[in-house]
Amino acid sequence: MNVIEINGLTKYYGKERGIIDINFNVEEKEIFGFIGPNGAGKSTTLRTLLALIYPTSGGAKIFGKDCIKHGPEIKKEIGYLPSEVFYYDKMNVIDLLNYSASFYKKNCSKRIKELAEIMDLNLNKRIDDLSFGNKKKVGIVQGLLHEPKLIILDEPTSGLDPLMQQRFFELLQEENRKGSTILFSSHILGEVQRMCNRVAIIKEGKIIQLEKISALQENNYKKIRVQLTAALEQNYFNIEGVSNLEANGNVISFLFRGNINLMMKKLSEIEIANVWVEEPDLEEIFLHFYEKGA
Amino acid sequence: MNMLLHELRVYKKNTIIWSLTLSGLVLLFLSMFPSISREAEEFKRLMEGFPEAIRMALGLSVESIGSILGFYSYVFLYISLFGAIQAMLLGMSILSKEVREKTADFLLTKPVTRNQIVTSKLLAAFLSLVFTNILYLGAATLMASYVETNEFSIKIFLLLSLTLFYLQLIFLALGIFVSLLIPKLKSVLSVSLGMVFAFFMIGAFASTTGDDALRYLTPFKYFDFTYIIQNSSYEPSFIFVAIGFIVIAILASYYIYAKRDIHAV
Repeated sequence: MNVIEINGLTKYYGKERGIIDINFNVEEKEIFGFIGPNGAGKSTTLRTLLALIYPTSGGAKIFGKDCIKHGPEIKKEIGYLPSEVFYYDKMNVIDLLNYSASFYKKNCSKRIKELAEIMDLNLNKRIDDLSFGNKKKVGIVQGLLHEPKLIILDEPTSGLDPLMQQRFFELLQEENRKGSTILFSSHILGEVQRMCNRVAIIKEGKIIQLEKISALQENNYKKIRVQLTAALEQNYFNIEGVSNLEANGNVISFLFRGNINLMMKKLSEIEIANVWVEEPDLEEIFLHFYEKGA
Repeated sequence: MNMLLHELRVYKKNTIIWSLTLSGLVLLFLSMFPSISREAEEFKRLMEGFPEAIRMALGLSVESIGSILGFYSYVFLYISLFGAIQAMLLGMSILSKEVREKTADFLLTKPVTRNQIVTSKLLAAFLSLVFTNILYLGAATLMASYVETNEFSIKIFLLLSLTLFYLQLIFLALGIFVSLLIPKLKSVLSVSLGMVFAFFMIGAFASTTGDDALRYLTPFKYFDFTYIIQNSSYEPSFIFVAIGFIVIAILASYYIYAKRDIHAV
């Protein structure tokens, strides 16, 4: 069963592109990732699903109901975490959470306490005394306190330290096990790979790829930079799976895709001063998709 | 209901401060009445020294300044100015602040319709003004009875005082409507003050020319105190205009708010 069905969703801001003809479905109990660079249309898509903005054409169904027409009704079962959280500054955290809970016709006080404990959040502070990361935690508790069936998260991890990110992901996985469907947007490939069953990749307002995460992982790119101690024969690293090879003085950088052991052997055979092995950023992955599409 | 209570809590301090200001203002003005009525003859002579146009712009009618109703008509001009500012600020901020303070995402992703949001906020603003006016009416009536030793019509005094409430409702509706016409409203204070003073000046101008058509342009002139004192009632045509304006502005506000995109920050 599909929890979200998006059909030809298009949004223009005046003449400016928002999103163009977006189509994808999110199945029940799935963790669905929505990735793309900044300004690609991730937030626009999510905000349309929540009826914060209205589509120019096309539409979407959530729980089988039109997301605009039945917005208030379906939002009973949606938890939302915006990319930047802003709350009523003069309220205490607990007052804000109780206010949030008052919109749902159930008692959430126990769940608020549990979530605050997991996220290590002080309930008695004033909102405007909180750091950015702590506000984000308020947002997380606020989005989950009514045990929604669908959780929509817009860049959820920005501002959280790694330990909190970890706890937050565990929390989401727990919610998912209990039956929640999760849709989240991100520009960090790593977290999407870790969490999601499927991903949609959006660029310049259009979906350019819709894949199972296992398929993405086959494209396991590494970004490698090597600082040499001595000059090296120019094509030393030019083996299969290497692309974007660049030499800048004694620093050589390239993308590598393939058996990592081969590369490690290659590295061990030469004298090096330093080495960096990194996840490539999205832009680089997109380059790959564009090349494939062309 | 939860939204209404929330809004009332948010505006509690604001409402109390404005209520005390307006009540304090009327107490202060009316406390000057005994000395002015005692020296009424002297005061009239002084006033007659002013050019007529200035007297009219200030709302001074020389003959009546010695009676409480006449005196009240005069000082009320300034009370109404403050009252209009309160209502305009309230109207301008109550819907727009969610966008300005970026809390709109919170509220609009809750299971409520946009009309429910507007209704809650309207009701909260309305109740805030009701509270202000109850306090004001109490303070004004008590003080007037205290300072005026002669008989005077309480009914007319109340009719006059209640125009503060009507004026505030008009400016509240205007404020809400204007705040929705300016999508990225940054400075509520300057826009509100600017508009209220503009209407106030038009009112002063209308007084000097005595042009009835001009009176329709500014809510400050919808309630003519001389007419109310003489007839113990309001002028029907202006009541009609006031109600018409409020209804249209509020309906338009519902419509605009329901259709608008709430942009990410």
